[in-house]
Amino acid sequence: MMGSRYWVWRGAGYSLRASRRQLAVNFASLILLLGLALFALGWGDVKLAPDRVWVALTGDAPGWQGFLLREIRLPRVLAALVVGAALGLSGLLLQTLARNRLASPDMIGLNDGATLAMALTLLWSPAGLLGPWWMALCGALVTTLVILAAAGGMGSQGYRVIVAGIAIASLFKAGFELVLATLPVMHSSGIYVFSIGSLVGRGYPVLWPALAGLGVLVLILLPLARGLGMLGLSDDMAQGLGVGLSRMQLAALLVAAALAGLAVSVAGPVGFVAIVAPIVARRLAGPGCVPLCSAASLGAFIVLLADTLGRSVAAPAEVPAGVVTGVLGGPFLLWVLLAGKGRA
Amino acid sequence: MNITVEQLRADYRERAVLADLSFSIASGEVLAIVGANGCGKSTLLRAMARLHRPAAGTVRVDGVDVWQLKPAEAARRIGLLPQFPQAPAGISVEALIAFGRYPYQGLFRQWSRADEAAVHEALIETDLVELAQRPLDRLSGGQRQRAWLAMVLAQATPVLMLDEPTSMLDLGHQVEVLSLVRRLAAGGRTVVMVLHDLAAAARYADTLVAIHDGRVLAHGAPRDVVTPGLIRTLYGIDAHVIPAPDDGAPVVVPMVS
Repeated sequence: MMGSRYWVWRGAGYSLRASRRQLAVNFASLILLLGLALFALGWGDVKLAPDRVWVALTGDAPGWQGFLLREIRLPRVLAALVVGAALGLSGLLLQTLARNRLASPDMIGLNDGATLAMALTLLWSPAGLLGPWWMALCGALVTTLVILAAAGGMGSQGYRVIVAGIAIASLFKAGFELVLATLPVMHSSGIYVFSIGSLVGRGYPVLWPALAGLGVLVLILLPLARGLGMLGLSDDMAQGLGVGLSRMQLAALLVAAALAGLAVSVAGPVGFVAIVAPIVARRLAGPGCVPLCSAASLGAFIVLLADTLGRSVAAPAEVPAGVVTGVLGGPFLLWVLLAGKGRA
Repeated sequence: MNITVEQLRADYRERAVLADLSFSIASGEVLAIVGANGCGKSTLLRAMARLHRPAAGTVRVDGVDVWQLKPAEAARRIGLLPQFPQAPAGISVEALIAFGRYPYQGLFRQWSRADEAAVHEALIETDLVELAQRPLDRLSGGQRQRAWLAMVLAQATPVLMLDEPTSMLDLGHQVEVLSLVRRLAAGGRTVVMVLHDLAAAARYADTLVAIHDGRVLAHGAPRDVVTPGLIRTLYGIDAHVIPAPDDGAPVVVPMVS
């Protein structure tokens, strides 16, 4: 029975259940992630072996190595992880809500709305500095409301939201181009790199609020996850089983938007992660579940890998992470979709 | 649990579909809602199952207005099987049935002994123990419908509402599913189902409610209600109604014109 596929812990008044397959997938992806993070910390102009990285992190290294790791590489690696996890989760939520694999923050314009909001702050900034991180968050949330208004609510058919989102994405992209065109050149180059998606020079000042935001959003997400799992059934069935559907959909949609906004606020709109990570996570997790943990860790893995590749392939020049995810993500997505078709 | 529908009115896209319906269902009764396509029978079931908010009137289960209940509370009283249920691709029969336990679960109550027992019982009741690990999409139509019923059974509700549970099934599977429905009612559950097949409804339901133009045209035991006149009004055809050789339930034989 269930015992063979799940581990169950029971006590007075509580019971917890985890699928063995999901636990294995989560464990493996966390190990991979940790390995990649250690490698990424040691990689660069100055190369350090993983054991040296560990020593430097725990504080017993010569001064400059410790400084390099703790003040420069560590915040950047952590920022990549936060961005990737947020994008993976945001994509998973949108795909689940819309019951469509095409729904992702880059596809339906959340990233574009967040980027536009950041660009708008430049218009009022005499020094050409990007606005505060929460502008991206506001941009994504406002975009969500615009999409909902245009699509006439969530509806049971996700494609309305997707079509409205695609239209709004192109509108906001055009808005961004317009802002770019009106800015002085010396100001526009910075926002242009931002709009590709890059982790260059990301440090603790952007990392801490993003990390805290991610933590809060995950806490909001946990009680929603159960109801989200019911969206594999039809709306009628889910409601019949006691899911408060419209409230849950709205809450999950806002969380998805906030996660996308958070990711953009740190690294700009890194593309493809939010669509690829949940698709792979779902395939690994097996039918009928919403794999929050593996979508987050896969997203984190992809962004960190893209950033690490980006700063190695053409060193000392850096290729923005968003370019790398685009180059790798496009063909990968095609492969996933075509391989899936062959199997079905 | 008994159900009372009082002066129910419902609109669909600003068009009145149901006008002033009132009837009641006794505990342990199997009630079939019949009528022509588009007469409002599905809307009636949806209004009773809290999927469609009525414009006026009440639906009470054991005296409690269902629209006053929280979603999970309602889901512990009413089990609903929509006409075209969808399942996640590749899901096993047992995992599908486990969805039925949702209204009893929570963040820290993910899989209690009661959940496990209810799923197992539902497998036995629907005779699906052997197929528990089989993916739902590899089952025959009748088996699949039994799996969906098992899911609703695991919900452990005193009331079942089924929307056209046999619409996609051949005669053999129809009989299989409707016999199962009868057994469930014998176990004490109250069943409300929409059936477009008047013959099957007359055979398997204790009571028929015939809906015509959004109103109750007839309400009562099949042998009292099913008459050539009713069939003429509902479907606009002439038919003989003859008693079944075994139990005298009315059998509808349309006339060849």
